[in-house]
Amino acid sequence: MKPTSPSAPAVLVVEDDEQLGAQIVAHLRDAGFDPTLLRRGRALTGDDLALVQLVVLDLMLPGVSGMDMIAQIRAAAAVPILVLSARNDSADKVRALQLGADDYMTKPFWPEELVERVRARLRRPTLAPQGAIELGRLRIDRSAREVWVDGVRVELTRVEFEFLLALAERPGAAITRRVLVDRVLDPARDGDARTLDVHASRLRKKLGVEELIETVWGIGYRLAHEGGR
Amino acid sequence: MKLRTRLVLSSVLAIAATVAALAIYDGVARRRAARSLLIEIAAEHLATQREACEAEPGGWGGEWVGPRGHRGPPAGRHRPPPGKHEPPPHEHAPDEPRPRPPRAWAYDGELRAHAADAPALLPAWLDAMDDDGIAALPLSWRNDDVAAVLRTPWADGPCRYVLVQGSTGSWGAVLPSGRVWLLPAVVVLAAVMMVAGPMIRRIRQLTRAVERSASSAYDLSIPALGSDEVAELGRAFDRAARRVRDELEQRMRSETALREFLANTTHDLMIPLTVLQGHLAALRDRVAGGQVPDADMLRSAMNEAHYMGALVHNLGAVARLDGAAPSLQRTRVDLRDVVSRVRARHRPIAREAGVELEDAVPAEAVLVDVDVTLIEQAVSNVVYNAVRYNHRGGHVAIVLERVGDDRFALHVVDDGPGIAPEQLARVRERGVRGDDARTRAPQGQGLGLPIALRVAQLHGLSLEFSAVDGGGLEVVLAGDRCRPQTDHAPRSDASSSSARLS
Repeated sequence: MKPTSPSAPAVLVVEDDEQLGAQIVAHLRDAGFDPTLLRRGRALTGDDLALVQLVVLDLMLPGVSGMDMIAQIRAAAAVPILVLSARNDSADKVRALQLGADDYMTKPFWPEELVERVRARLRRPTLAPQGAIELGRLRIDRSAREVWVDGVRVELTRVEFEFLLALAERPGAAITRRVLVDRVLDPARDGDARTLDVHASRLRKKLGVEELIETVWGIGYRLAHEGGR
Repeated sequence: MKLRTRLVLSSVLAIAATVAALAIYDGVARRRAARSLLIEIAAEHLATQREACEAEPGGWGGEWVGPRGHRGPPAGRHRPPPGKHEPPPHEHAPDEPRPRPPRAWAYDGELRAHAADAPALLPAWLDAMDDDGIAALPLSWRNDDVAAVLRTPWADGPCRYVLVQGSTGSWGAVLPSGRVWLLPAVVVLAAVMMVAGPMIRRIRQLTRAVERSASSAYDLSIPALGSDEVAELGRAFDRAARRVRDELEQRMRSETALREFLANTTHDLMIPLTVLQGHLAALRDRVAGGQVPDADMLRSAMNEAHYMGALVHNLGAVARLDGAAPSLQRTRVDLRDVVSRVRARHRPIAREAGVELEDAVPAEAVLVDVDVTLIEQAVSNVVYNAVRYNHRGGHVAIVLERVGDDRFALHVVDDGPGIAPEQLARVRERGVRGDDARTRAPQGQGLGLPIALRVAQLHGLSLEFSAVDGGGLEVVLAGDRCRPQTDHAPRSDASSSSARLS
């Protein structure tokens, strides 16, 4: 058990099964979170939830309806709720989402995926629609149409800037070639999809951080989520 | 109450009520006719009787002897009241009492009778007199007497009032004389009994047939001869029995199928579970012997566990799809969330297999009205196949696109071995059967592909397979999105839920 840092996000795990609960807690702790296990469903107050950044809730708790728990947590706080469901029943999931759950995972699941989803849920996208985008070493000023890497300004062509912006607006998400072609290339001047790879490799060279722009097989390109730390 | 008793009783009641009503009407009509005849005779008679009466008021009257010496109301000369006819004498039944001849008594102005045997004259009767000086006395039901008081045309003298009394005859009668009218009543009653007998017998036969059919689990059909309502009832019973029989057979069949399915499934789950236990035991032995755990064995163990998970989910889907009319629990779903969950489900196992699993979704929501569990399972099956049958270093890409204003397309592309066309054709024509969900297919022909096909078909979506240049398979699930006006929920984070119906 490694000690969690004071800034570790607190996660409340509501799970009646001892083994599964302990497993989830161990994996979350290893991933740098500060988990607390609650073995029985009970009414949670706003004070209970004030310090919690996320709730992992098993829907099948003995003696208490998971649905009631969701509604009750939602009434007390706006904390994200990730529901674990063993029953493969659409009505249950939909109802859970309607009551205010943010996401669900169907058992069985791999622990790393649970951790990944908790992480994704806690990640706040730092998107200022018209302002500057800051991603690790990369900074993009939309209005001035300027790009900086490690504080050094990089000169980009119009196509290269649009290409980078299209990726940077959804960091970590793969963007299809079709979307990039539609958005970045002017068919009259810039050619077609085949020139996309040329633009991408030039952009990589100019930015000087090779791993910043990833090629995704069968899809297109992606800006590394950490912005090339 | 039994049917026959009820029929007879209600017939008797109906006949009795009808007869009573007729008898009352008959009595009233006869008394009225007799009274008007009596008054007519008396009025005509009095015109010539002044001297006779005033000469000997006490002896006047009594049994009236008509002017021509015949007793009773003179027939022929005195027309009966209109609409009535006096039956000729021979129509009198021998047992019917003939009407008594009218009698008369004279009274003075003080209502004193002259004759000793004269009944008392009540002043109240005089109040009821009309302008012609005639008062009809109230009809009596105790006997068949009719009576009237007449004021004589001469204004004074001992014969001021005359009371005439007679009895009813057959004038104005509506019932035939004698008891002959009882005959039809008896005939009706007898007919009811005769008709009721066979009808009740047939109903009893039908009851027995239905009971026999029921005790044979509705195997025996119910014979229904004839074309009346009882036969119709029999046929209705037979139809109902047939429906029950079909339902029972259907239940039996599905129960048998379910039991078989459960047995096979248990067996099929046991295989990966046994493999998993074997791997775990081997790993424990290695660790106990101070060796490093075998990474391949660990991966294989993880694969088995993942396969079992997919199998159980597919079994759940098959259980829902196996029925004649599977019900879809449709809700509004953002397919981006479905893609995100499916990728999340299989990425760890893809990583173990050395297969890169990536996805791309649009920035805007892709909203569809679907059964989220079934759609997720269908997409999951396609993706899992692409991962499972790929080679180390292979790729799987899930691409969700909005197509035009109202369509979507979900592509799953891999660079694995692909599927032979004839195998695909077989999967397509076989449809979903429990066995398909359980097939531990070594050659890559579709664990759960039939399920994916069936789910797409139920939702009205297309699911197309095509070969990719340079090997590999592309599977495209396509269909309609929800109406555009409801289709605007752009969110920066595609993995958040959208099934919330806000």
